[in-house]
Amino acid sequence: MGFELNRFQGEVDEELVCPICSGVLEDPIQAPICEHAFCKSCITEWISRQPTCPVDRQIVTSPQLRQVPRIIRNLLSRLCITCDNAQYGCTRVLKLDALAAHLEECEHNPKRPLPCEQGCGLIIPKDELKDHNCIKELRALIHTQQQKLNEFQQEFTEQRFLLAEQRREMQLLKDFMRAMRISNPSMRAIADAMERDEVLRWSNSLQRARVTRWGGMISTPDEILQRMIKRTLTEMGCPPHILDDLMENCHERRWPPGLCSLETRQNNRRQYENYICKRVPGKQAVLVLSCDNPHMGEDMMVEPGLVMIFAHGIE
Amino acid sequence: MANIAAQRIKREFKEVIKSEEVAKCAIKLELLNDSYTELKGEIAGPPDTPYEGGNFVLEIRVPETYPFNPPKVRFITKIWHPNISSVTGAICLDILKDQWAAAMTLRTVLLSLQALLSAAEPDDPQDAVVARQYKENLEMFKLTAKHWTNVYAGGPFVNSDCDDKIKRLIDMGIEEHQARVALSSYNWVLERATEQLFS
Ligand SMILES: [Zn+2]
Ligand SMILES: [Zn+2]
Ligand SMILES: [Zn+2]
Ligand SMILES: [Zn+2]
Repeated sequence: MGFELNRFQGEVDEELVCPICSGVLEDPIQAPICEHAFCKSCITEWISRQPTCPVDRQIVTSPQLRQVPRIIRNLLSRLCITCDNAQYGCTRVLKLDALAAHLEECEHNPKRPLPCEQGCGLIIPKDELKDHNCIKELRALIHTQQQKLNEFQQEFTEQRFLLAEQRREMQLLKDFMRAMRISNPSMRAIADAMERDEVLRWSNSLQRARVTRWGGMISTPDEILQRMIKRTLTEMGCPPHILDDLMENCHERRWPPGLCSLETRQNNRRQYENYICKRVPGKQAVLVLSCDNPHMGEDMMVEPGLVMIFAHGIE
Repeated sequence: MANIAAQRIKREFKEVIKSEEVAKCAIKLELLNDSYTELKGEIAGPPDTPYEGGNFVLEIRVPETYPFNPPKVRFITKIWHPNISSVTGAICLDILKDQWAAAMTLRTVLLSLQALLSAAEPDDPQDAVVARQYKENLEMFKLTAKHWTNVYAGGPFVNSDCDDKIKRLIDMGIEEHQARVALSSYNWVLERATEQLFS
């Protein structure tokens, strides 16, 4: 919408008046053929209703609108206008093209944001400063924040409840599938895929381990050591369906041919460096999952993977 | 009211006041409230028409969305015209509907309405009864329109034949305007008007 005519000093040429709002052109733009000029916001609003020139009704669409000639822009920029805040005491009269910059800093703007200097530091519109009370404002602020906090807390509780519900349902589904897979081959395939995905997800969540001294490997760990490692695996979120198998595979009697005796281990020790190992936090042990090690030969790997316990040498 | 509408009406009001049509008493505009939403318009019946010498008052309501939508205008003064309802004063004129353009003003509207009084468009009627009479019996139409102008708009042409027939119906207990409508609708044939009123 254009600038009110009575804000200008002297006569304003009719050419510079918007036929829609009857103010002096703001952000002027013109129709392509008839060259009638309008404020950009005015003509945009009109064209959104019907694609015609509001003066002569020739067809005009938004993309056809053109910049007005330089002469019109120059005439406009030279007009002298009073400040928007004249009614609040600003006596400045400015060239139209300097108005925007002045409004940015006009100290008579009743809405100019100023920081409170009595202590609260809040930014307040100038016209509200005289009725401003730091304590009241801050209390209101605390109140709204408290409210927000309560809302978040409530939402958090709801989400937690929902999550528990979903976990429970998920467990039910898993049990259901386990029961079904026995009798239904396609269900078995789906369940197998889900379990594979679960192992993969778990494996991706674990950190890589580096074995510095393969010679420290314990090929016949005792019961106590095994129980300790098993508890740690459970705490790490090991999928239950591979836990027992994994633990079985921590003893050389269940290791693959390439590892199962001192002799074969001697022969294959160069291949150890190729294993991708995952950390078992706080323990001198590593997980060698088969899903991480498809590149290893069959005689070096078993399903679902190996647990290797060491006397020392794990980073 | 939206700023743009108020700014426009303020300026248009001044424009009309300064216009030569006002100087010639052809049109008139009056503000009815401070918010520029309600105005009273007046147009003089054009010369060489049945409306000559009459003064027609219009109700003008300016919508919030003016000038992107046309003002809502209707005749307060009762008038006999194919494009104006003899009952409600509603107007059938394209620029007050889909042919409105944002650069048009109240002055253009008033002048267009005056032009409509000079040149009726019976093929795009607002009042079917009037339009039929206009097409089938132009002389009868002119006589009726002149009579209505005399009675409601202060026109100078008194038609004593019409007045007599209305008096006869009033004597039968019919209300005056109702009597005039019935007679106007039946080409001033007393019998048919009576028949219709008492059927
Ligand atoms: Zn404009
Ligand atoms: Zn145009
Ligand atoms: Zn200023
Ligand atoms: Zn403060």
